[in-house]
Amino acid sequence: MKKHTVVICTGTLCHVLGGSELPSLGQSLPEAWRDLVNIKGSPCMGYCKDGAMQPPFVEVNGELIQEASVSKVLDCLEKHIAHGTKEK
Amino acid sequence: MKKMFIDIDYGFTPKFGQIVCGDVFLSEKIKNENRLIAVLSDGLGSGIKANILANMTATMALNFTINDQPIERSAASIRDTLPVDPQRKIAFASFTIVDTEFDGQTRIIEYGNPQFLVFRKDKLLTIDHQFLADGEVSITEFQTQIEDRIVLFSDGVSQSGIGRKDMPFGWETDQMGGVISQIIEKDSGISAYELRKRIIGQSILNDIGKPSDDITCAVLYFRNPRKLLVCTGPPYSKNKDEEMAATIRDFEGRTVLCGGTTALIVAREWGEEIEVDMKHFTSDIPPISYIKGVSLVTEGILTLCKAAELLKHGNYEDVDRHDPARLVIQELLSHDHIDFLVGTKINEAHQDPSLPVELEIRRNVIKKIAYLLEKKYLKEATLKYI
Repeated sequence: MKKHTVVICTGTLCHVLGGSELPSLGQSLPEAWRDLVNIKGSPCMGYCKDGAMQPPFVEVNGELIQEASVSKVLDCLEKHIAHGTKEK
Repeated sequence: MKKMFIDIDYGFTPKFGQIVCGDVFLSEKIKNENRLIAVLSDGLGSGIKANILANMTATMALNFTINDQPIERSAASIRDTLPVDPQRKIAFASFTIVDTEFDGQTRIIEYGNPQFLVFRKDKLLTIDHQFLADGEVSITEFQTQIEDRIVLFSDGVSQSGIGRKDMPFGWETDQMGGVISQIIEKDSGISAYELRKRIIGQSILNDIGKPSDDITCAVLYFRNPRKLLVCTGPPYSKNKDEEMAATIRDFEGRTVLCGGTTALIVAREWGEEIEVDMKHFTSDIPPISYIKGVSLVTEGILTLCKAAELLKHGNYEDVDRHDPARLVIQELLSHDHIDFLVGTKINEAHQDPSLPVELEIRRNVIKKIAYLLEKKYLKEATLKYI
């Protein structure tokens, strides 16, 4: 079974603009989801170079979340899991 | 005679219940004379008063030695200057002065401290001490070789555990020499920092966690220089990316990368994957990553700023073991020559004045770290901009 993939940007800008809690996302995952979700990090996803977008950035199965927070990522994951969308 | 590098480090723990240590260790490298002078002084008693006595003694001893004053005169001046203790009616601070040249010619002057130990590889050497006319100050001259270690310590170390049933006279020299020999035998390249940490740790253990005197230990380790490359920041122009990646690949020694974009460039040039460590993280700085072929990969400016602060205050052992800034410091302090390769490209995304924290300019942080490494930790640092 393919897992849902979450990529968290751990770059400087994402970190200072509210992303410092994101790496601990794994601890906030509900028990039932733990085997369904694969959490990865990226040194910098590069979106910050485009001034129009708002950090911090997280991708869920390739879908970009701007101004990401733990609750926003969980909401998005819930949607993906409910629809059964798997990693492409 | 081949020029050696002297890896030097010291640490202390105040007597239980005191907040200030009554022992002082000072050292200075005199670059144009190829000479290093280190002084360990133990002030009478403990606490602030002892610290002031020791500080005065160490500073005087250091400066007299730098200016090549005869030892008899230095010792007399120090004794005349120290304030007299109103209760005990004596002025006293013991000292050990190490005056060594980078070719290994070493002179050690001792007054009142426990005798220093010298290890050649893992063997404890016996060295003759010659006493001056007053019978109190001793002078020892010898030639050190590569892989020698000089261990200096205050009586808090040699008397740790005193009165315990199994060690009624404290941690005696023979016993201590045996323990240190064993440590070196197990890890022949152990750095000054690691060794003095082990010695101080054992002394505190001997005192069952409550040091009965100020504990100070310093180690001088004569060795071939170890080199470290710290690379941070993308090059000013993109066509230098290849050069930067090649410099890191061809470097003989361990390498550290600080910066997300820098890491991406290196991984791209090498065709390697980057894996971010999502298991260990601290809330104030981003996590480390792994690239095959690089010893340590961290985020850039936040990690470096934190490392600079910790280096400045010397309290890096208080932070978590997995803290990326502490990992960077461990790499820096376990090497002798540190080359910094600094990319000068400005990250536009960091220039927004509405950002909630001050993001310092990379070049300034690196300059600060290099300055601290040279002045405070007696390393050699070179800076190269790309």
